[in-house]
Parts: sequence; structure tokens; C-alpha cells
Amino acid sequence: MSRLTDPRGHWDRLTRAERGVAGFVVALLALLFYGFVTGGFGPAYVLYLVGLVGMYVLLSFGLNVQWGYTGLINFSVAAFFGLGAYGTALLTADSSPIAGGFNPLVGLVVGLALAAVVAYVVGVPTLRLRADYLAIASLGLAEVIRALVLNERRWTNGSAGLRGIPGFFEGWPLLDRFPELMPGLRVVVVPGSPIVLQEPFWQAVLNVTLVFVFVAASYLVLRRVHRSPWGRVLRTIRADEDLAEALGKDTYAFKMQAFVLGSVIMALAGVFYAHLNLFVSPGDFEPINTFYVWIAVILGGSGSNRGAMFGGFVIIAIREGTRFLGALLPDALRFTLPGALSVLPDGLLAALAGALSLVESTYATVVGNFASTRLLAVGLLIILVMRYRPEGVLPPQRELIWTGVADDTTRADPDSGVREARGGGSDE
Amino acid sequence: MSVLEYVANGVIYSSIIVLASIGLSLVYSIAGFANFAHGDTMTVGAYAALVTFGLVGGLGSEILGLPLGFFAALVVGIAVAAVVAVVTHRLVYEPLDAGSIGLLITSIGVAFVYRSLIRLGFGADFTEFGIQVLRPIDWLLPYGVRVTLHDVAIVLTAGVLVAALHVLLQSTDLGRKMRATADNPDLARVSGIRTRRIKLWMWVIGAGLAGAGGVFLGLYNQISPRMGFDILLVVFAAVILGGIGSVYGAMLGAFLIGLVVRMTPLLSDVGIPIGIDYAKAIAFVIMVAVLLVRPNGIAGGTES
Amino acid sequence: MTSDESNTPTRRELLAATGGAGVLLTAGCVSTTDEEATTTTESDGGGGGGETTTTAEPTTTESEEVGPYRIGMVNSLTGSLSAFGERNKRGTELALEAVNEVGIRGRDLEIIVEDSQSQSQTGVSAAQKLVNQDGVPFVVGAVGSGVSLAIYESVVQNTDVVQLSQNSTSPALSDFPGLLRMSPTGRTQSSALASIIQEDGYDSVAITWINNDYGQGIMEAFTEAWGGEIAYNNSHDQGQSSYSSVVSKMANSDADAWLFITYQPEFSTMAQEAYSNGYEAQFYGADSVKGPKVIENTPAGSLDGMKLVAPSAALDQDNYKQFASAFEERYDTSPTAWSAYAYDCVVTAALSIATADEFTGAALQETVREVTRPEGQEVFTFAEAMEVLGEDGSASDVDYQGVSGPIDLDENGDPVGYLQVFEVQDHAYASTGFISG
Repeated sequence: MSRLTDPRGHWDRLTRAERGVAGFVVALLALLFYGFVTGGFGPAYVLYLVGLVGMYVLLSFGLNVQWGYTGLINFSVAAFFGLGAYGTALLTADSSPIAGGFNPLVGLVVGLALAAVVAYVVGVPTLRLRADYLAIASLGLAEVIRALVLNERRWTNGSAGLRGIPGFFEGWPLLDRFPELMPGLRVVVVPGSPIVLQEPFWQAVLNVTLVFVFVAASYLVLRRVHRSPWGRVLRTIRADEDLAEALGKDTYAFKMQAFVLGSVIMALAGVFYAHLNLFVSPGDFEPINTFYVWIAVILGGSGSNRGAMFGGFVIIAIREGTRFLGALLPDALRFTLPGALSVLPDGLLAALAGALSLVESTYATVVGNFASTRLLAVGLLIILVMRYRPEGVLPPQRELIWTGVADDTTRADPDSGVREARGGGSDE
Repeated sequence: MSVLEYVANGVIYSSIIVLASIGLSLVYSIAGFANFAHGDTMTVGAYAALVTFGLVGGLGSEILGLPLGFFAALVVGIAVAAVVAVVTHRLVYEPLDAGSIGLLITSIGVAFVYRSLIRLGFGADFTEFGIQVLRPIDWLLPYGVRVTLHDVAIVLTAGVLVAALHVLLQSTDLGRKMRATADNPDLARVSGIRTRRIKLWMWVIGAGLAGAGGVFLGLYNQISPRMGFDILLVVFAAVILGGIGSVYGAMLGAFLIGLVVRMTPLLSDVGIPIGIDYAKAIAFVIMVAVLLVRPNGIAGGTES
Repeated sequence: MTSDESNTPTRRELLAATGGAGVLLTAGCVSTTDEEATTTTESDGGGGGGETTTTAEPTTTESEEVGPYRIGMVNSLTGSLSAFGERNKRGTELALEAVNEVGIRGRDLEIIVEDSQSQSQTGVSAAQKLVNQDGVPFVVGAVGSGVSLAIYESVVQNTDVVQLSQNSTSPALSDFPGLLRMSPTGRTQSSALASIIQEDGYDSVAITWINNDYGQGIMEAFTEAWGGEIAYNNSHDQGQSSYSSVVSKMANSDADAWLFITYQPEFSTMAQEAYSNGYEAQFYGADSVKGPKVIENTPAGSLDGMKLVAPSAALDQDNYKQFASAFEERYDTSPTAWSAYAYDCVVTAALSIATADEFTGAALQETVREVTRPEGQEVFTFAEAMEVLGEDGSASDVDYQGVSGPIDLDENGDPVGYLQVFEVQDHAYASTGFISG
């Protein structure tokens, strides 16, 4: 309530990073609103992107439980995402070789249960390993899962994937036909640019509502968990596992619980994805998806759920925003040396011309091969974040034991401790 | 189809993996983290060799079916990979004040950077060295073994490089210092060893070997920007199986994993219904199984 | 009250919001679009009957009388199918030039291309942008069959947008009449291959296929069409460093006919490994196995006698010859069928726009199939078609014969399959016949 009753004081208590992010969010919302109102942004498309952000937020929440709270390096995110998606798809899709036609709620339960079981199975051999072995073993086992889904065509349809997945609200009394029943609306705020809200828009509204419910539910669960004694044990394990053992805690059991919880949340994202995309395929298990979620968590702030939200947003901005960059940037740069320079000696002129044409061709290569440029940007982003802000943009604020991303360096973070000193607020 | 043939294929494949896995193990033992950019270092070596071979050409005579120009390209590939690794170390890893996990994550970023730069420079399509593909060696055919001279060259060169490394580690001053630094960096520094310089040498050797592995991988199959990353997981499996931090463990692990991956067809030959699509999956499962029993790998146990 | 993002509404805020909405409505800014909804004759594959589909209106300003006609394309510019994306890009560029040289009623054709990264997730978001943000009424897409289906079912199906896939071959697309495609269903090739192999006298075949929806689709259709024995049938993953296990197993299987359903890089490796292992067999290949890179990267003589089927127009047909020479001049390599499909997609879209009443999805739905069907005069290039159409020709006045074949989209949205049979002679491809189905 402090935000509403005492906004000024609240603002003062925010760290610099938090202010930056808050300002950024406000600016973005303003931009979105402006775009909506003038008709520049397709409303259905914007809501679709919001849905994707929600999905990545869920994935980041799941990884946060494992890495942020407990310090487990889990490179099998994509596998559990895929298991959630396939779990529900195998039960609800028309083309499912096993079942098909069940209510998506059943699919949801099965997807989550499948992820929990597999998480347990994967956890048994790997959670006792040291951190870097866990990383590689989890990546390897994720690949094993992908190989199984890809090759066992009898069970999964193999590389053809599963199509014909119904929307999540199929079979619900009113929501089933909600997009069709809602009238198409035409809002004219700025004359000449109408905002048309039709079936795709209402479908997107449904999807966003669904992911919002999932995110809110996970957020509440995680907040509860984080403050509980259970959460404290997890953080102790992250900071110093030997200490936790010395305190008499069965660290393996706690790690397993965190691993399963995180994996179930990732599977929840997968279930949402299946009913959004209406198609799943073994490509959804590719390791690059794991790395995207890792970037989201590290950039956003390991251990903090707000950071996870911010990270999810950044990932979608990178993946989808670069579509628009292609339209904004000119195809090629053209340089012409001004005539006045011809007084310079020939050799220098030639060198200058050569340098400029190098710039031109580099620009053309970079803009023409945007996927490679995006990969380059992502790589540089990781390096820069790890170098200059390894704790992420929005790290957790109140930790009894403070750790950075690097496990064996403790650093005094000037941004933390502010809240502790005031004794109020929370770290979520 | 003879078991001997599968073993022969396995040995050839292992030769390529061993070059990469030794480098990975070296990096771990001295720099202290698992380097996810190692696969893409192989790619760097392969492309450097490709460019060189294109410039230099055949250079006349052939050894084991490979023109001398190829060996020149091999040397350049090793050198370029080493230089790139050293530069990365100085620019990225050294200034970073992070533990092994932070470095691991950073190395993922480095891997992306390598791969994207190669893709921007060379395009995403695959290419070849353009060396004539050979027929199998005749006198081995009756034994059911089908290998070409190129395969022999790969195995021999890998063998030479590994032997040279062994000599380096055991009999030279540098090797002694490297082993000391790997065992206990603080003690090494105290006893006068300049660990910073040793680390540089370690990067040179480790990345150089990876570059050589990449060149041979390109010869064995094709050169593409993804080639290193595709094989990276197998290399990791080999290193972990052998015990991260132990160079000899890495050799053993590479040999085992290479054999396992190439002998998978044997399973369906004897009636076990696991297809060759699962070759790599089997390698991973074996790796995890070994880790269950020996959590530090077969020859590991030097790190705490 | 602990999250920056969650706005717990106070009573005050709720009142304000309701009030605002009410004001907007009463101010007459909001009207329903029901009066503008048009029912179309499109039959969607999914949904219940009796739906009224609404027009997808562009979100940009309404004055679009001048300026180019903008359509969309979802292409695999990156990812596992990027080689096909590259070929599509080239075919598209040539087609755009040909179309814009003549123009459509004085306006140019412009294509907004979005990358699907060869994945359904990204492909769907590409289509979302094209349909819901850019508001295009016509989408050419996608390359992968799974991506095409995902786009159709989640984005296009309940709208009027025309979707025409350049390269998808999975038989599953035939179940969706609303989803058109330019490349014939894989079933055509598979049946053709089955009959060729049988005619050659083999009764046992070893098959290896690339493990994605393309390979799986063709393999499944082949096994249905094949009457003889299948000695070996296994998939292989894309982009592996070696396929020696696959090749050894095929040799082990004692079948003398080997069928490869895969892409050029993988097949090059397999051919090299077969050669360096000294294996001999009669090779057969599906369409993607054929290409200049295979010839470049395999030793001379290693492939002689291999037979392949690939879709293409008659090689001696004029429009194909023009297309091929323009292609070779620009890109220094001979075109594959995939470029030809992309070329035909663009020309078909242009003709559809030229003969439609208005530039909306509903109107384009009515013309897109007609311009390719046998009613009307046969035309072989866009320029020719525009001449025949004149000022206000209609779709049934022309029958576009593409560079990839006669097209003739049927009621399932599939083109007529027109295949050439090739044989490798002296390490080069020679055409030995046609099959159409």
C-alpha cells in the first residue's frame, strides 16, 4: 500500500536499477498506448507478444527456483518445457498417436505430472553431482529426451509433430466461443485511424488472460515458498552447501524438491505454448531455447522474480523486436567522398575509400544476415552482463546471505542493504 | 558387418574427439571452468585452415593422400585457434571476477560470438576442403575393415599430437609447471611459477589442439558454422567420463565415447532394438551412469 | 502490493476505468463491425459450421489507393531449412522483378518477408506479425510443413487471409483445402519412386530419410506405395558429422536399391562415405537430394546411374529456360525446384491481385485458384498474362503455367504434380522422362 499512499517515499527507497526499470516500463506502456490509439500497433499482435512474454516469464520463474534460489545449474529447461507441451498435446490433439480429444484441463494435469516424474528421474543421478557436471549432465539428458521424442514415432509422431491441438478453453461453456461471440469493435480515437478489434483480438485476449492466471498463480506460490523456512534452506544451500549439511539438512532432498517444482513451472509454460501455437514438434526441445531462458534469468537478476519478469520481456524484445529493426534500418549505406577531399594525396584517398567501402560491405553483411547479427548481439550481451553486472538488472533485495552469480565470490552490492536499513518492503 | 569395422570407425572418430577433449580438460584444470566455447574454437580452426588451403593450394606432393598444402593449412588452423583463444582470455575471461559458474556462462556468450562471426563471414552453408575423396585401402578389405588413407592420416596425426603433449607434460619444464599449476595454483605461484604465463600456454595448447580437431573434422565430414557445437556435447561426455581436469582421463574418455558412438550399430545387429539414432544418447547415458558410481569421472578426483 | 507489475485495482481506479469506457462508447467512437462482416465461400478445415468470418482489416490508415500492394511471406531465412530459404529468396527476387516490370494496374507488388527460423514457434509469430500487425491479405508460407500447418491453424484459419505454402510437401496439408501450396504433395514423388524402383526390377529396398516432417512424410507415403520388401528403414539426423553407421547398415541389409530422402549436405556425406567404404548399390533419390552442391562435393563416378525424381517444368519449355538463364546469370548456379516454386507463388499472388475486385482476403480467395486452373488461355509469364487480361480480365480468363509445372490448384489446394526423372550420367544430371500425377 505504500506505493499508493506515499509514492514519493517509495520512489526514494527504490534502487537506481529499479527506478530505471520502472521508468522504462512506464515509457513503454505510454508508447504502447500511443501506438494502440493511433492504430499503429495491431492490437491482436501486441497481445500475442504479451502472451509470449508471459510464457518466458513462467520459464524464468521455473529456472529461478532452480538456479536463483538453490544454485542448480540446469540446462534442461527446454526438455521440461517440451514435456509440458507434449504432455497436453498427446492427450488433446487430433493427430495424437496415443489418445486425443481429451479436455485441455486433463492435458494440463498430465503435462505437469509428466514433467514432475521426469524431473525426479533426471534428478536422481544428477543432483548429487557438482555444479558443472550437473550442467553438462542435465544438457545431455535433455538431449536424450529430445532424441526419444524425435525417434519414437509410435508414441509421439516423431518429427511430423502434433497438430490439431485445441485452444485451452475448448469445451468450456462460454469461453469456448468467446472470440466468435464478441462483436467486432471499431474504436476511433484518432479520426482516420480506426482500431479494429475482431476475432483474432478476442482470441488473444483469452490467451493473455490464461497466461496471466498461470503467471499470477506461480508468482504467488513462489513468493510463499521464498519466504518460508523451506526457501531459506534453499538459499543456504546455494550459498554454501556444506554449511547446510552441517546444519543437519538433507540437501539432496531439498534440491530435488526445488528441481521438481521448477520443472513443473516450466512445464506449465509448455502447456500454455501448446494451446497457443496449436502445434508442437521436437524442435521445441532444442537447447537454444534453454539458453534464451538462461539469458532472461541472468540479465533480469538471478533469484528475483521481478528480475525474471524483466528478463522474459527482454528476451521477447530481442527475438521479436529485431523483426522491426529490419524494416527500420536502411538496406545499405552509401558513402561518397566529398569533392573537397580530392586535395589529399592519392594514397590517403585510396585508403580512405577502401576503409569506407569496408564499412559499407560490413554493414550490408550485418543487416543482410540478421539472424547471425542477432546471435552476435546475444553473445555480446551475455559477456557484457557477466562482466559489468553479473547480478542482473533487478537482483533480489533482501537476502540473509548475499551471493552474486559467481558462486565463490561474495561481493558487497551497493544496491542492496537499502531496504534492510529501512526495515520495510520486501524483495519481490 | 564385422566388429572390427565398427572398432576401426570408432578409433577414427575418437581421434578427432581426443584432440578436442584434451584441450577442454586442460582448460578446466588450469583455468578452472568448463569452456562451452571449445566446440566453436574447433570451428575457428577449421575455417582458418579452409582459407589457407584455398590460398595456398596443393603445393605438390602428397602424404597419405593429403597434399602438403593441407598440412600447411593444418598448422595455420592450429595457430589461429590458439591466437583467438588467447585474445579471448585476455579480453574476456581474465578481467572477469567470477567463479567457475560465471565463467561457464560467459563462455556460452563467447561461443555465440565465434559462431555468429563465422556465419557472417562465410555464410551458413556447408563447404568442403575440396580434397579428393579416396577409396578404401585394398589390403585391409579382406579383414572387413574399410578405411582410407585419410582416415589413417587422421589417426596418425592425432597420435603424434597426443604423444607430443605427453612428452611436453612429463619431460619438459613447461609441462612440469603446468602440472604443478593444475594441482595447486597457489602453491605453484608461491614456489615461483608464473601462473599467468602458464595459463596463456595452456590456452595456446588447448585451443591449438581443438583447432586441429576442427580441421580433421572438416576433412572427415564437412565444414559448417555449426560443426563445433554439434560435436561439443560428445566432447563433454568424453571429458567428464574420463574425469574433468585429467588430461589422461580425457584421452581415455574420448576413446571410450568414440567407440560407443560408433559401435551402436552392433546393438541392432545382435537384436537389441536400439537404433543408431540413439548413438549419442547412449553415450550420455553411459556418462551419467559412470558419474553415479564415480562422481569425479574415471580418472578424476583432483578437484574438490 | 509487493510487485511493480501487478496493479491491484482500488475502487477508485475501477470506477475511473468503467467511466472511461462508458464515455468512449457513448461518444460514438466505438462501433461494431458486424455491418461490415462478409461471409465468404471459404470452407475452413476446422471450426463448426455457420461461422461468419470477418475481414482482416489492415491497421494502417485507410487511404491505400496509391502505393504498392503489400503481401507477406514467411520464409526460413535461418535455421535448419535455411538452404531452402535462400533458394526461395532468389526465386522471389526474380519474380518480383518480372512482376514489377509490368506492374499491377500501375502499382508495384511488395513483399514483407519474415523469418520463421525453421521453427513453428517463430513461424507462428512471423505470421502473427504479418496478419495482425501488417494486415496483409495474402501470405506466402511456409517452408516446413509443420510450420505451415501451425500458421494455418493458429493464425490464418478463422480469417480470410490466403495462405500459399511455397515448399511444404507433407501429405497432411491436403486435408486443409484452405491451405494452398505450390509444391506437390510428397505422395506424388513417393509413388513415382516406388514405381521406378519396381520397374527397374528391384524387390527389396533400403531407405534412409532425414528426421524431420519432410523426410517422414515422404518415407511414409513411399512405404504405403511400395509393394516389395523394405530391407532397412531408418532415419538420420540433419547436420551430423558422419553418417557411416547409416551407410554401413544399408550395405548390411543386402538390398541392392538404396533410397535417399534427405538434403544435399547429408547426401554428399553419405555418398562420400559409401565411396570411401567401397560400397556399390543402385541409388535412388527424392527431390532434395538433387542439386549442384552434391555434384561438386562427390567424386566423379560415385553417383553414375543414380536416379532421382524432382518436380520441375519441362526443361525445354520457354518460360523455364528464361527463368533458368536469368537465375544462372544472377546467382551463378542453376536453379532448383524450390526457387521455381517461390517464383510461381509470387506470380500467382500477383495475378490473383490483378483479377480480384478489391485487395482483401475475401476477394483474393475467389481468384487465387482460378488463375491457375485450366479455364482460360494458357499463359506462361506474368507479362503475357497481363496482356491477355487487359483492363478488367477475370481470373478464369487465364491459366498460368508456371516455371515449376502447370500448377492447376485442385479443391484441396494442391497443385498437379509434375515430376521429371533424372539420371546421373557422367557426373551430371540428365532428364530421362516425366511423370505427372
